[in-house]
Amino acid sequence: MRHRPFAMGKQGSKLALTFLWAAIAWVYLFPYTWMILTGIRQPVDTLSMRFLFVPTLDGFRAIFRDIGFQNYLLNSAIVSVFSTLVVIAVASPAAYALTQLRMRGQVFLASILVARMVPGIAILIPVYLAASSAGLLDTRATLILIYTAFNLPFAIWLLRGFFAEVPAEVREAAIIDGCTEFQVFWRMMLPLLSGGLVATGVFVFIAAWNEFLFALALTQSHAATAPLSIIGFRNEYGVQWGAIGAAALMISTPVVVFAVVMQRYLVRGLTMGSVKG
Amino acid sequence: MASQSVLLSAPAKPARRGGTRRTSRNQAIWFVLPAILVLVGVYLGPMLYALWASFTGWVLVMPGSENDWVGLANYSEVLQSREFWSAVQVTVIYALFSITFGLTLGTIFALTLNLEFFWKTFFRSVMMIPMVITPSVIGIFWKLLYEQENGVFNHALAAIGLPGIPWLSLNGALPSIIIMDVWQTTPFFMLVILAGLHSIDESLIDAAKVDGTSRWQMFRHILLPHLLPYMLVAASFRCIAAMGDFDKIWLLTAGGPGDRTTTMTIFTYKTGFSAFDIGRTAAIAWIFVVIVLLVSAPLLRHLFKTATRDH
Repeated sequence: MRHRPFAMGKQGSKLALTFLWAAIAWVYLFPYTWMILTGIRQPVDTLSMRFLFVPTLDGFRAIFRDIGFQNYLLNSAIVSVFSTLVVIAVASPAAYALTQLRMRGQVFLASILVARMVPGIAILIPVYLAASSAGLLDTRATLILIYTAFNLPFAIWLLRGFFAEVPAEVREAAIIDGCTEFQVFWRMMLPLLSGGLVATGVFVFIAAWNEFLFALALTQSHAATAPLSIIGFRNEYGVQWGAIGAAALMISTPVVVFAVVMQRYLVRGLTMGSVKG
Repeated sequence: MASQSVLLSAPAKPARRGGTRRTSRNQAIWFVLPAILVLVGVYLGPMLYALWASFTGWVLVMPGSENDWVGLANYSEVLQSREFWSAVQVTVIYALFSITFGLTLGTIFALTLNLEFFWKTFFRSVMMIPMVITPSVIGIFWKLLYEQENGVFNHALAAIGLPGIPWLSLNGALPSIIIMDVWQTTPFFMLVILAGLHSIDESLIDAAKVDGTSRWQMFRHILLPHLLPYMLVAASFRCIAAMGDFDKIWLLTAGGPGDRTTTMTIFTYKTGFSAFDIGRTAAIAWIFVVIVLLVSAPLLRHLFKTATRDH
């Protein structure tokens, strides 16, 4: 008698859990769904709970025609792609040296960890002053350099974990066969670690695409990235929610799609970067 | 372990192996040099520059003021100001509450997601979304939800006959940014805890089941001790990140009303980019760095130890 509800409820508890999770998923999707809806509904319907409506593209027309949203998107794409590539190019040899070369890198390792903790705001003012006196404000190159530096400590840390998993014999055998250190790194390690490189790249790309503070302080109109475009729609005439919704949709879609597609790597990187040490 | 087995299987080549090691150490510097240059150029350089500036009375709009050496005056001024301590208080409340709720919810979500039911992969994918959405977009959209007159939440409350809530009022704003942060960061906690659950020894669970352990005892005596390190690491990482949060708070409240949601980061930004008082801002930034490093010290020690233990 005592065990009956449990035995009977095997399917029942599965269903109950599915409903519970449907509710959780609804709560966690709600703000995002509302954002998409705001982007494609008439402004008068922004608060409407009726979900049968004729979609409008006015919001999208507004952002592309009025503020040249395509320039923001282009800047974001260039800055994110290049900083991802540069981070990988700089971080992977460093991670290789730290693990495979048995470098006595305690000081370097400690500095990376500390740099990773330092909040961005702490270097904002000096970086701003330096960029301003060098005439490098409002350039994509400055943003690429800053984003590279920001993501470097984390990327080295993450890649260090992946490199440490490669047995030392791989390198030793190759060295004995006459490969140079660079050849081992380039021809053997990188292909072997493609999964780790992708995982690291996913993190860096998302971080660079989403960055706001430095883009806000260091760019004006020429190099402004997509997240900044959203500020322009709050002015003295009120808030243009349709345009904001369209811009928000365009800005967040690439990272959302990317994250869902690259989920496996994202989870792997998260585990490697935070828990595995 | 691995390199030991090489030594054992190839005892004839110890000298050769020692040789490759020595050259590898000399070459290692070329592999880390680019990283060192970038970190010195963008972290160490600017931070030292800011340290020097923090001892001066430099105000950007007053040429020549960068040469006024004021010693520790900026620091004592900041440490005695009400605004600074208010920012510290807001940051502590923000971090403490959002981590507590995020960690609790994330653990519950992970424990339930670890059970058997339908469409689990789909639900996990859904949870990735809040975690990666551009934070500035999050800030602006929560504004649409929270607005007093035309906000989505108050509209929904009115639809079921309830009075609206002043979400972004003097007393509501801080809880509101905490809710927004919990929504965004629960998935992070959930994924870390899930990783912890996946790494648990199945035979331990099976043995406990055979012994007739209750669900609560199982959680309390087997799962919780195993998950605790994961929880601590996740909470520490999130704590450090929370202290640096800017985008979503800036776009939702801009630190207001008054300075009710002005965290350390927003306080530093406001001081720097409204008054352009470089000396004072640099001092605030350095105090902030010291606080963050003190808070992250246990995590730093833990990470450093696990990293150097491998070798």
